[in-house]
Amino acid sequence: MTPRAVILDVFVRGLYPLMLAASLWILLRGHNEPGGGFIGGMVAVAATAMVAVARGSDVAQRKMPLGPLRLAAAGVLLSLLAGLPAFAQGAAYMTHLWGSLPLGVTQVKVSTVLLFDIGVFCAVWGALGGLCAQVVSLDEEGGSESGPNPRGAGQPE
Amino acid sequence: MAGAHGTSRLGWLALLPAALFVLSLALYLAEGPPQWIAHIPWAESLGVDLALHIDGLALQFILLITGVGSFVFVYAAGYMAGDSGRARLYVLLLLFMFAMLGCVTADNLIALFVFWELTSLTSFLLVGFKHEDEGSRKSAQQALFITGGGGLVLLAGLILLGEIGESYSIVSLMASHRSWLDDPRLPAALVLIFVGAFTKSAQFPFHFWLPNAMSAPTPVSAYLHSATMVKLGIYLLGRLHPAFSELALWQVVLISFGGGTAALAMALTLRERDLKRILAWSTVSALGTLVMLIGIPGDGAATATAAFLLAHALYKAPLFFVAGNVDHATGTRRIDDLAGLAPALPFTAAAALLAGISMAGMPLSFGFVAKDLIAIAKTEGEVYAWIGYSSLFVSSVSVAVAGVAAIRIFWHRGGERLAGVREGGWALVMPPLAIALLGILFGPLPHLVDPLIGASAEAMRPLLEYQGLSFGLEDGSVLGALAAAVAIGALIYLFWDRLHSMLEALPWLDRFGPAAMYRRAVAAIPAAAAITPRLQNGSLVAYAAVLVGFAVLALAAALSTTSVPAWPGFERPSLAVAGACAGIVVASIAVCIVRDSFVLLLASGLVGLGCALIFLFLGAPDLAFTQFAVEVAFVVVIAAILLRLRRLDLDPAGPQRLWPRALAAVAFGALAAGLLLAAAGGPFDSALAEYFAARSVPDAHGRNVVNVILVDFRAVDTLGEIAVVAVSFVAAAPLLRLARERARRPAAGAPRLPVAAPGREAEHAAGATAAGKAR
Repeated sequence: MTPRAVILDVFVRGLYPLMLAASLWILLRGHNEPGGGFIGGMVAVAATAMVAVARGSDVAQRKMPLGPLRLAAAGVLLSLLAGLPAFAQGAAYMTHLWGSLPLGVTQVKVSTVLLFDIGVFCAVWGALGGLCAQVVSLDEEGGSESGPNPRGAGQPE
Repeated sequence: MAGAHGTSRLGWLALLPAALFVLSLALYLAEGPPQWIAHIPWAESLGVDLALHIDGLALQFILLITGVGSFVFVYAAGYMAGDSGRARLYVLLLLFMFAMLGCVTADNLIALFVFWELTSLTSFLLVGFKHEDEGSRKSAQQALFITGGGGLVLLAGLILLGEIGESYSIVSLMASHRSWLDDPRLPAALVLIFVGAFTKSAQFPFHFWLPNAMSAPTPVSAYLHSATMVKLGIYLLGRLHPAFSELALWQVVLISFGGGTAALAMALTLRERDLKRILAWSTVSALGTLVMLIGIPGDGAATATAAFLLAHALYKAPLFFVAGNVDHATGTRRIDDLAGLAPALPFTAAAALLAGISMAGMPLSFGFVAKDLIAIAKTEGEVYAWIGYSSLFVSSVSVAVAGVAAIRIFWHRGGERLAGVREGGWALVMPPLAIALLGILFGPLPHLVDPLIGASAEAMRPLLEYQGLSFGLEDGSVLGALAAAVAIGALIYLFWDRLHSMLEALPWLDRFGPAAMYRRAVAAIPAAAAITPRLQNGSLVAYAAVLVGFAVLALAAALSTTSVPAWPGFERPSLAVAGACAGIVVASIAVCIVRDSFVLLLASGLVGLGCALIFLFLGAPDLAFTQFAVEVAFVVVIAAILLRLRRLDLDPAGPQRLWPRALAAVAFGALAAGLLLAAAGGPFDSALAEYFAARSVPDAHGRNVVNVILVDFRAVDTLGEIAVVAVSFVAAAPLLRLARERARRPAAGAPRLPVAAPGREAEHAAGATAAGKAR
């Protein structure tokens, strides 16, 4: 870790959970307000990319639930499965079902749409986040010791 | 695992096909075919659905697939015991089995095609099962090229047939065939279907892939390449037989190609020394006989087809198991090295003998019943005279092949006794014995399978008056033909080695025929592939030039047909939009001037952010959101790549040539502007926008129309898109890991070692030795 990254590091530690919370909020509000799974996923990707730049890609990938590959796969699977309950109603695949969950004072609308959108979120975050983190790491590993580094080149063997 | 002679627990999976076998048998006995078992609509506007229909022919195939499948699953448990790939084998076999079941029950032509290609794919994976071996890979590739390619031709034929008959349902096509049989497009459709069926069932000129597919493990050969998959072509022809049986084209093509293939394959058998390849050629020959039988008009031919289908499965699958057992016990399949194995492998020898009796068509075996029916069908159908002679030849070589497989390697004296040869456990012994016993049992007791054969024949020939299977001994001419075949076959058997060396002395035979043409075609691929490195030369600048150049040409072509668009009237933009536009303009100018690649990246990022602002102020917040997020991720990723390139001291921009780039940029920009003007100038059809705006809340409970379209109206599209995103990550991840490891390796080695590539070190060493020698 080079000294100049410390400020970024500290900054990112605080910002990362905030960005994830924002991405979840964007995901959940998406059906009625601007937002949705894809945009929320992209915000999460930006958060992951930020961590990768500040603290390394391994940290960034570890911070993703399940790890990038499984997260992406789980997302696709979830979206795939979200279309299945329609069969129970005799409707065509991907006919979304809506219901509401009474929670005492208030009611929460639940639907297969939400499942589908969470799947989109996870797929986008897992795949693009993993891609971003790994591309960012192209720079970090090969960097400091090898290559035409002016400080290293002058050292005697 | 219990060592080499153990039995894998995966063998219990055999219960699955066995259960399906019992189930379909029970279903049949309870109600009798034909019946619909499923009808799931899919793309109704295209006439595609998943309708499963079972009649006699389908039932016979289902019973073959599940019945032989049960034994194959048991056999594979013994054959693959201790092999680390056995789970993969079972997965592929199961997939294959379901693809086959789908294929023989599908009523829709398109659904049939999908299952058909699935069997080709699983066959490819199974033939190439030992993928470390180059021969296996080549054979798998060949099988895929031919059966998969044939499948595509078949698709064209099926679509044409569906268009001619105005239905993709086989049942309704067969019912209405009188009304469209004289359509002028029908011969073309038939020829395409023939190609599909002939590639799958290894008929001339596509016969050569099947023996090469013998590099698959033996359970696979027994299942796919003798008992089931290669009979799909026969199945399809039998399925369409009710409509086309009276057409001259149908009869001529099937009789001549089938009869010709039967004789050719038997002739090619004589050039082989490998037991499995010998059996494979005789399978090709049997398939030829089946194709010929379907071409012969008359009730007898339909009955004979159904009976021979069963008889062939009952003797050929055990013979493949026998070949597998011999290979398993001795490590070789070359018939020269095999003799006198009967004392060491008594049960295998017994199975070989039983199957051989049926294959040779000896009386009291089911093979004889089938042979009898074939002879009757030929006399009834008045086929060409040469078919008679070639049939005699085919029967004779069949007798000889049966002799080689059942007598020569087990009972022939000579050759040293191979030490340590013994049976490989019950899982390897039971399947061939059981199936071969059935093949004998149905001989004297044909009424056991009578209803099945009758139902199958009736499915192929609806007006058939089924006579029932007979013992067949009363017909003198059949016995006469059999005697002749046995006599000639015995001669071939005795002189097998001499015939073989005679044919071996004619290597020029290999230079002719479709197999050689296939080899030449494959050899020509690298020459054609020489174009690829010119386009994919590794230079990013060149890729960009190709992409932009192509886009410019395509846009110019598209715009050249439209009239000159009018310049839209000026509308005073809001202050925010004007500000965003100003930002874009400034950033664009900066992009043109700046030389440092990082500043360049930031400036182009600014252009993107400006666009996002415009979207935001023009009332598309979703788009703006997405643009912001994508732009951020893009800049971060590209910055990382630029850093890496800079550390490697590579200039991403390459040599600076201003004018070509300026020209490309200006041309692209001008055409994009022209496209926008043309789009804005045309009438705007707002029907879709109005529809989505109106239906979004009542139908999908969402006010955000963009999101509702993504997750509800067009959810399946979105599913496809996220699948693409995920798959592209799966594809990119290993490449990136490789790049990281490469970047890491010099870093790990750098501190101590002097800078030298491994190749150079080797050169140094070689030079030093050479110098030392010179001294």
